[in-house]
Amino acid sequence: MVTVLTYPVVYFLLELPKLIVNDAVQGDNFPRNVFGFDFDQIPYLVLLCCTFLGLVVVSNGLKFYLNVYKGRLGERMLRRLRFELFQRVLRFRLPHFRKVSSGEIIPMITSEVEDVGGYIGEAFALPAYQGGMLIVQLGFIFMQDPLLGLAAVSSYPIQGYVIPMLQKKVILLSRKRVKNVRVIADKVGESITGVAEIHANDAAAWHSADISDRLYENFKIRYEIFNRKFLIKFLNNFMNQLTPFFFYLIGGYLVIQGNLSIGALLAVIAAYKDLAGPWKLLLSFYQMTADVSVKYQTVVENFDPPDIHDTERLTADDDVKLDGDVKFERVSFSGGAAGQEVMDISLTVPAGSSSAIVGPDGSGRSEVLQLAAGLVSASSGKVLIGDHDLDKLTDSTLGREIAYVGGAVHVWTGTIRDNLYYGLRHRPLVPPERSAEEKKKYKRRVNEANQTKNPVYDLAAEWNDFAAAGVNNDAELDEKALELLETVRLDNDIYRLGLQSRLDPSMNDAFAEKILNVRKSLAGRIANEPKLSGLVELWNRDSFNASASLAENLFFAVPSDPEITMDQVPELEEVKKFLAETGFDQKLQQIGQKIAETMLELFANVSGDSGLLGSYSFINQDELPEFERIVRIAKSGQQRPGLTDADRSRLTGLAFKLVPARHRLGVMTDDLRDEVIEARKKFLESVVKSGDSFVAFDPDVYLPPLTIEDNLLFGRARVDRRDARRRIDNVIRTIVEETGLRHPIIYAGFGYHVGVSGSRLSAGQRRRIALVRGLLKNAKITILDDIATGLTEDDKTLRSALREVLSEKTFLYGTSNAEIAAEFDQRFVLDQGRMTDTG
Amino acid sequence: MTLETEVEALRKVPLFHGIDETKLRLLAFISERTEYTSGERLCSQGEEGDCAFIILAGSADVLVDTPEGEKQVAQVSENSIVGEIAILCDVPRTATLVAANDMDVLTVSKDDFLKLLKEFPDISLEVMRTLALRLERTTRDLADARRGASGD
Repeated sequence: MVTVLTYPVVYFLLELPKLIVNDAVQGDNFPRNVFGFDFDQIPYLVLLCCTFLGLVVVSNGLKFYLNVYKGRLGERMLRRLRFELFQRVLRFRLPHFRKVSSGEIIPMITSEVEDVGGYIGEAFALPAYQGGMLIVQLGFIFMQDPLLGLAAVSSYPIQGYVIPMLQKKVILLSRKRVKNVRVIADKVGESITGVAEIHANDAAAWHSADISDRLYENFKIRYEIFNRKFLIKFLNNFMNQLTPFFFYLIGGYLVIQGNLSIGALLAVIAAYKDLAGPWKLLLSFYQMTADVSVKYQTVVENFDPPDIHDTERLTADDDVKLDGDVKFERVSFSGGAAGQEVMDISLTVPAGSSSAIVGPDGSGRSEVLQLAAGLVSASSGKVLIGDHDLDKLTDSTLGREIAYVGGAVHVWTGTIRDNLYYGLRHRPLVPPERSAEEKKKYKRRVNEANQTKNPVYDLAAEWNDFAAAGVNNDAELDEKALELLETVRLDNDIYRLGLQSRLDPSMNDAFAEKILNVRKSLAGRIANEPKLSGLVELWNRDSFNASASLAENLFFAVPSDPEITMDQVPELEEVKKFLAETGFDQKLQQIGQKIAETMLELFANVSGDSGLLGSYSFINQDELPEFERIVRIAKSGQQRPGLTDADRSRLTGLAFKLVPARHRLGVMTDDLRDEVIEARKKFLESVVKSGDSFVAFDPDVYLPPLTIEDNLLFGRARVDRRDARRRIDNVIRTIVEETGLRHPIIYAGFGYHVGVSGSRLSAGQRRRIALVRGLLKNAKITILDDIATGLTEDDKTLRSALREVLSEKTFLYGTSNAEIAAEFDQRFVLDQGRMTDTG
Repeated sequence: MTLETEVEALRKVPLFHGIDETKLRLLAFISERTEYTSGERLCSQGEEGDCAFIILAGSADVLVDTPEGEKQVAQVSENSIVGEIAILCDVPRTATLVAANDMDVLTVSKDDFLKLLKEFPDISLEVMRTLALRLERTTRDLADARRGASGD
C-alpha cells in the first residue's frame, strides 16, 4: 500500500527538474498561474524548488518507513523461524540425537538462518518497491524519448542472463561453505567438551591438524567465492557505465537536432542514475532468492526427520493421572546398535510395588527402563500404565507422573537449587507482581511473542510446583529437599559448599546476625580452652597474625569485590597511593626482592619436572626467568634500564603473598611487625573509611567478601600446628550444630553455582543431585537405573532408604547385580534383549 | 626461628651430615614447621605414615603397643629424624610418638621427601649410608642379644 503511494511521488521527483530547467529557467510568458495564484519567474522558480525539496522529504520518509517495516517483519520472522527450529529439536526422538550433534545444530539455529530472516523482510517489500521504482523511472525515460529508453535497457538482457549463470556457481559454493562451517563448529564444540581427554592423551596436535585442514578447506571455498563475486561485480559495473555512453551519444545528437530539450536530457540522466539502484537491487534480490532458498533447504532438511514427535506432545498441558500397573505387551525396540535391543518382552509391574530389572549393560535393561519412562517408543507392542498407552501421552503427563533417573545424569549450569527444583518447573504458576512501567514492558513482550508464535510463558513467574512436591511454600520446599538430601547423604557435601559460599547480608539480616553470634561464642571458647587457643590466630587489630599473608596484615581488610585477587591489589590506585605515602612501597619491594632471591637460590638447581617448585615456591617454573631478570636489575642498582612499574608491582605482589609462619624466610623482623600494625591503622583511616573498595576486619561486622566459614572463624587456623585446620573445623561444626545454624548454612549451599554442566561437582554428587531432583517430583512411578548399585554398606542403606521413601509408589530399579535385586518385591532378568527369568 | 637456624639444626641431624647447605635450605623450605605441646601425639602406631619428623627442639617418647597397653621403649630428642621408614616404604607406623615436652618439629611430607631424593642422588646416598649403619648396629645388637641368651 505504502509502496504504491511512493510511485507518483517518484515520478514527480523526476519530472520537476525538467520543469525547473525548461519552464522556470528557460521559459517565458510570466507570471504563471498555479492553483489560482500568480507567480513571477523568480517566485515560480522558488516554488518549484521548494516543492522539489518537499517531495524529497516525503519520498525519503516513505523509504524510511518501508525500511523499518521490513526490518521488523524480517526480525519477527527470524525469531519465529528460530523458535520453530528449536522446538523441532525438542521434538526429535531420543535415538535421533545419536546422529546429530549440538555443534551442528547450534550454527543452524543461530547464524545460518540469519540471512533467511533478513530475506523474508525483503521478500515482500523489495520486488514491489524497487520493481515499481524501475518501471516508473523507465517509463519516464521512455516518455522523454523512446530511443533513450532503449539505450537504458540495452544492457539488461545481458545482465539478466550472464550474471545468474555465474551466480549459480557461487550459490553452490556457499552451500559447500555452510556445510564446512557446520563441521568446523562441530569439531570445535567437541574439542571443548573433550578438552580433558585431549590433554590426557596429548592429542592437541591431532586436533590442531584436523581443524587446520578444515580451515584450509574453508579458505579455498571462500577464495573461489569472492573471485567469482568480484567478476560479477566487474561485469555489472561495466554494463552500468556503458549505458551513459549511449545517453550522451544519442541524447546529445537529439538535442543538437532539436528533437529533445536539455532539461529532458538532464532529467533522463538523473533518472538513469537512480535507475542503477533499483536494477542492482532487483538483480541482487534474484541472487538472494536463489541463495536463501538453498540455505533454507540446507537448514530445514536437518530439522525434519521422518519420525519427529507431534508439537502437541510438547505443548499440551493435559494432566492424565497414571494409576495402575505398568504393563509391557510384547514390546520390541531397537536402538540401532547391538546391545540396545529389546525383543518381545511382556511383563507386569503391579502398582505400588518395587521391582528390579536385572541385567548387565547391553542386556536391554536400560532400554526397558527408558521404555517404561516413555522416553523412547516401542517399535512394536505397547507399553501401558493402567489403560494409557505411553506413546499416546504427552510430555506434560509423562514428565509429571514418572520420575526417571538414568545412569548418565545431566546437571544444568546454574545453582544447586535450580537443579534440585528443576523437576517441579513445568509451567509458570504464579505471575509476578509488576509495576505500571514494568507492566507496559511486559505487555509489549507478550505482544511480540504472540506476533511471532513464540510461547508467552513468563520466566519471572513462580515455576516451582509446590503442590506436586506436597508442600505449601518455598520454606517447606527447602525443608523437603533437605530431608531428601539427608536420605541420599548429600547434606554434608552441601553443608561444606555452604560454608565455602558467600552470603549477601542485605538479603538475610537474621542469618548474618546469627553468624556473628557464633563468631562470638567461638572466640570465647578459643579464649578459654588452652587446647583451642593454640590452633587459631584470630584477627586482632593490635597484633600481627603470622598465619595470614603480609597483605592481609597490612591492610587488615579485604577488597569488597571478591573477584579481586591479591595479585591485582598492588595495581589498585588507592593502594598505590597509600603505599607511596607510608613508604611501604620501598619496603615491600625489598621484601619481594629478598623473597625472589631466596627462591632463585633454592630452586635454581631444581629441575622443572620434579614438582618441588610448584607446591612450595611462591613462584612457578615459568616465572623464574622473569624474576631472575628483575633481581639482576635490582641488584645492580643501575638507574637505566631500571625496573619498570610492572616489575615493581610483581615484587610487591610477591611480598604480599608472604605468610610469615609458613615461609620462614627471616624477612619479618619485630620492627617490621610494629610498622605493619602502625600502617594498618593509617590504611583504615585513609582508604577503608573514605571509599568502599575495601571492607575492614571488624569482629562486630559480617564481611560479605569472605566465605561463611571465614566469617564464623574470623581468623586463621595456625599453619604451624599440625591438623589445626581440621581440628578447628570440627569445633566450628559442633558450634554450628549447637546453635542450629547447620540448616541455614545448607540452604546457603543451595545457592552454590555448579559450573558448566555441574563441572564443579564430583560425579557422585551430580548423581545424587539428580536423584533428589527425581524424588522431589513425588511422581507415581519412579524409575532409577544404575543408581547406588554397589554392595557397600553406604549403598545398601541408600537403597533401603529409597525403598522407604518410595514405599507407596511404583518403583522400578535397574541393576546388573542379582544379589541387589533380591531386595525388591519382584525381579525381571534380562539377557541380550530377552527376558530369561521372572520372580 | 628462620630458615637459617633450621639449616643449622638440620646439619646436626646425622642423616643429612654430608649434604651441602643449599640443599638443606631447600629441605627446610619445603618442610612445614610445626609446634607440639607436651603430651600431643605426633603419630600413632599402625596408621599410614605421610611425613617424617625432624626434631629441632624438645623431645618425644617412643611408645609401642603391648598387651598391657602402650609402653615406652625409647626417647628421641633434638637433631634426630623419626618416622622416615614409613615414608620410604609403605609400612604402617611402627611406633607411637608423643611429645615429652614442648617441641619444635620440621615435618617433611612423603611426596616431597621422595621428590627431593629423586632430584638429588647425593641425599639418597646419605640416607642409604645412615640406614645401612643402623642396620649394621641392629644386626650386631641382635647377635649380642643371642650370644647373651645362649651364654647364660
